[in-house]
Amino acid sequence: MTRMLFIVGVTLMSLAAAPQQQGVNPFAQAMVDFKQRVGGYMKLRDEITKKIPEVKETGDPAKIHTREKALGDAIAKARVNAKPGDVFGADMVGYFKQILAEDWKSRRPADRKALFNELPRGVQIGINQPYPPTLPLVSVPPNLLAMLPMLPETLEYRLIDRYMLLRDRDANLVIDVLSNVLPQRDR
Amino acid sequence: MFMRVSYFASAAVLSLGGLMSVAVTPAMPSAAIALQRSAAPPAPATGVAPPAEKDSVRFAVIGDTGTGTSSQYEIGAQLTQARQTFPFEFVIMLGDNIYGSERPQDFVNKFEKPYEALLGAKVPFYAALGNHDDPTQRYYKPFNMNGERYYTFSKGNARFFVLDSNYMDQTQLKWLEEQLSRSNDHWKIAYFHHPIYSSGEKHGSEVDLRTQVEPLLMKYGVDVVFAGHEHFYERIKPQNGIYYFIEGGSAKLRKGDIRKGGPLTANGFDTDFTFMLAELGKDAMRFQVLSRNGKPVDAGTLQLAAEPKRPAEDKPASR
Repeated sequence: MTRMLFIVGVTLMSLAAAPQQQGVNPFAQAMVDFKQRVGGYMKLRDEITKKIPEVKETGDPAKIHTREKALGDAIAKARVNAKPGDVFGADMVGYFKQILAEDWKSRRPADRKALFNELPRGVQIGINQPYPPTLPLVSVPPNLLAMLPMLPETLEYRLIDRYMLLRDRDANLVIDVLSNVLPQRDR
Repeated sequence: MFMRVSYFASAAVLSLGGLMSVAVTPAMPSAAIALQRSAAPPAPATGVAPPAEKDSVRFAVIGDTGTGTSSQYEIGAQLTQARQTFPFEFVIMLGDNIYGSERPQDFVNKFEKPYEALLGAKVPFYAALGNHDDPTQRYYKPFNMNGERYYTFSKGNARFFVLDSNYMDQTQLKWLEEQLSRSNDHWKIAYFHHPIYSSGEKHGSEVDLRTQVEPLLMKYGVDVVFAGHEHFYERIKPQNGIYYFIEGGSAKLRKGDIRKGGPLTANGFDTDFTFMLAELGKDAMRFQVLSRNGKPVDAGTLQLAAEPKRPAEDKPASR
């Protein structure tokens, strides 16, 4: 855990101090690129929400449901050709896997078991699909979350089965998927 | 604010580290966990005690409610009944407000109908998000979340900090620290879905929250924390000067899930559905827990002492 915090710290310092330097940190440029891709998604989303404004507090849940679906449909339509890794980025896969593996290793067997108990299994997840509305949104362990790059408020990481997802919170839409990043259950 | 706890009643008195005295009525299962396995049919909440102070802040606590099953409706009826004796002003919801699908009719069947009498009496509900809740519930006006995943509100001499423990990111933690540091309220109460301490076999303590959230609760003198997620009632022995309750059995029940003889349990009840009533007074919080047939499950008084809280004095129990 300490080593991972160090790696993340060094990465962030590299970003802040000398983002253009080559060879300082293997993930520094990848992190910059990841943030740019997230920014690109947010720009697209901002355009869409001009036509589908944020819902106000209401006593009518139909209005909330309708807005969520309309936003999800519009984003999916605008990203119809999106592929796995378009936002996460091939260059960041190793980074995410490393963080997840270190986090997993740091956990006691009882904590691992508790997390496994929470994770829905046997689920097929795809980009531009809604997160299955009848499944729980499993809590992302806060210590893990502290090591992952921060996201804008409307986006979140989610864990399900062996996937890590990027999910648009208000659209309930899967934006990107990393497969096989969580351990098998028998390990 | 350093707190001492006393549970006033008739039976044996225990002393825990010199900080707390406990007395238990015969009707309560004490530190041992109730083991009866059958649930009696619902009856009026006859075991409700009236408020002890005139101008106290009174509220009800329910968790893991949104099933739409008969047990939720029975607890709803008990709440209505209890309010006649204990006129609580509002209800806090500890997450899993709507299980399964969240179509418009689900909000009716899993929230509006079970608590129809309370909603009709203009009793406000303040919800936290659980892992079964779509975060868009924050736009649902009857949950009073002001469109936010995490928020704060005040009642009388108390401030409530409502967190989204499903996604405890750095932005939320920073917000929490800002809000806590600003608060000069007499009572600081936090609630969220996942329990920092739990004796549940299935889930257990959310140990990451101890790393990320508990230091802030300690630093800024939070007095009491409520959580759900575990489908039972548990009162945790004080941890680092904070009193933790789990009330996740207001519509779901995981019978026999409390680990027997665990180091955390001050009192637990995992054989029937429950709800809590609480009263924040000048110097004490009084609580009572009732089952769906209106029988008392637990009760007590947390005494708020004048001297500052010294978290290091309470040795935390292990998981």
